[in-house]
Amino acid sequence: MVNAVPLSWVLIVAAGLFSIGLFGALSRRNTVGILMGVELMLNAVNINLLAFWRYLQPADATGLVFALIVITVAAAEAAVGLAMVIAIYRTRLTINADEVDTLKG
Amino acid sequence: MTFELADVPRLMPEILLTLWGSTILLLDVFTRWRSGPEGLRERSYEAATMALMGLAVIFALVFIQGGYLINLPERVPEDANPLTRAVIGALINLRAGGAEGTVLGNAFIVDPLTHLARLTFIGAAIITVMLTINYRPSRSPGEFYSLLLFSTVGMSFMAASGDLILIYLAIELTSIPLYILSGYFINDRRSTEAGMKYFLFGALSSAILLYGMSLAFGMTGSTSLDDIAAGMRQGSPLLIIAMIFVIAGMGYKVAVFPFHAWAPDVYQGAPTTITAFISTASKMAGFLVLLRVLSTGFAPLAGTARLAAGFGGWASILAIIAFFTIIFGNLGALPQTNAKRLLAYSSIAHAGFLLLGMLGVSTLSTPAMLYYLVVYTLTNLGAFGALAIIAAHVGGDEISDLNGLGWRSPLLAMLMTVMVLSLAGVPPLSGFFAKFYIFMAAWEQGAYWLVVAGVLMTIVSLYYYLRLLKAMYIEPRPTETSLEIPRWSKLALSVSTLLVVVLGIYPSLILGVLENVATRIAAR
Repeated sequence: MVNAVPLSWVLIVAAGLFSIGLFGALSRRNTVGILMGVELMLNAVNINLLAFWRYLQPADATGLVFALIVITVAAAEAAVGLAMVIAIYRTRLTINADEVDTLKG
Repeated sequence: MTFELADVPRLMPEILLTLWGSTILLLDVFTRWRSGPEGLRERSYEAATMALMGLAVIFALVFIQGGYLINLPERVPEDANPLTRAVIGALINLRAGGAEGTVLGNAFIVDPLTHLARLTFIGAAIITVMLTINYRPSRSPGEFYSLLLFSTVGMSFMAASGDLILIYLAIELTSIPLYILSGYFINDRRSTEAGMKYFLFGALSSAILLYGMSLAFGMTGSTSLDDIAAGMRQGSPLLIIAMIFVIAGMGYKVAVFPFHAWAPDVYQGAPTTITAFISTASKMAGFLVLLRVLSTGFAPLAGTARLAAGFGGWASILAIIAFFTIIFGNLGALPQTNAKRLLAYSSIAHAGFLLLGMLGVSTLSTPAMLYYLVVYTLTNLGAFGALAIIAAHVGGDEISDLNGLGWRSPLLAMLMTVMVLSLAGVPPLSGFFAKFYIFMAAWEQGAYWLVVAGVLMTIVSLYYYLRLLKAMYIEPRPTETSLEIPRWSKLALSVSTLLVVVLGIYPSLILGVLENVATRIAAR
């Protein structure tokens, strides 16, 4: 039952998800879009962690705890990030990362 | 792997910092009825002095716990008077509380490195608070100082953790308060922009780091660094990928090439005193995490920095990163007109020099890197602190805003000169000795070409450091009015300058401690 899907397939799905997230984070102009890309990357990490836990050591809760902590911290991080986006929108009326360019040189 | 009562004193500095941060936050809520500029200034002063007092007490505690009180006897003397015996007895008990050991398996390691790191981070936080007291008043000072304290807790966890889960948590505990602090002035366009950029790059780097960590966990079946090193003997190509992702993620945090792009923007836009804190303490914490992860967890993949002998392992990767970081940091600083941005590029260059001490774990490399980190922390805190004072008075942080400082405030100009010369590596200041020592370490590891590049780039760096001195002493002065330095800032800058000079003249003052740290790291 456990081996109905080989571990390597799950890892490939996670790697694909990570790549999509990384591409989104690097190519998006909208700040919220970048944030969504980062969330996809974190979800890929969670798939990895849970797959390793389920397939390799289901008796040991380490992977499970790690994934739970990643989810919790990601929520806290997103809260701070969205607050930043709101602060940016209030001063500039845009959340396009290309137009937030006071600092350069 | 259970939590024992004896672990509480080992975690005491972190516990106290967390409690004190929460106290400051709560007390500020209770005084919120005082509004208006006058009330705000009072609240700000109260929160700052509270933070300062707490940090000072915890600094003293860490000092004793770390065993730095070298005159303290082993046992209470029988013939002394009762008061002396009570004091000595209490001190001995406090020192015993910081005994070496680990908490929760190998998750939290208390060793000389932890003590040294705590001392530096709390010291940096003290200097930052002193510089901030007379800086721009913030809208909710309680939040400001409690976030600073929480971030310090995160840093000391970063330096002490020996488990991937705790490392990740500590990095986030450090970073999230720093994102908020750098975007703290929400009506200031530059501050919010710095906060957002710091956040986006930080979140991206955390995700990359975590992916590497998840692979390392999967391949070795453990998150503890010791078990990862043991499980790595089998070897797997995925472990190499894990190592590259971890180096990339941490490379973002410490701002080395090619992950340095965020640093100049964030350092320029963030409130200057927070820039001082980010560029020193958080960078040092990042390097200590790298040291622990690479020297313990990825020890079997060390490789060599002697690239002619073959490429492989993290030492080779770090050697190449260090080369480009030194080149890009120093060349990037040349055309800058903004003083904060110039120091930001200089701090990227310094991260490159610091990597020269990471090319291998030896009794020469590790003390060299730690000495460089301590000196760099003191120097950059002083340099950014001086800029904060200037910006508060002149209203800008361009290099031209420094014009005539030598006449307007001879003391501040002198302190700034010492800092800048130490960053440039001019003897007899400690910056010179730090560079010399770290070049020796890289030479020992066989990275001769890197040492040559480092020396050449040090000469290049003299040009842009001297531009700051030229502005202060040679350029025509815009006004004759003298510039008042606030009392607390004067104290903070004088202390850090004094330490920079003293550590340069008597490096042996801390070298013994650092060598002790290095032998313990190598023994793990």
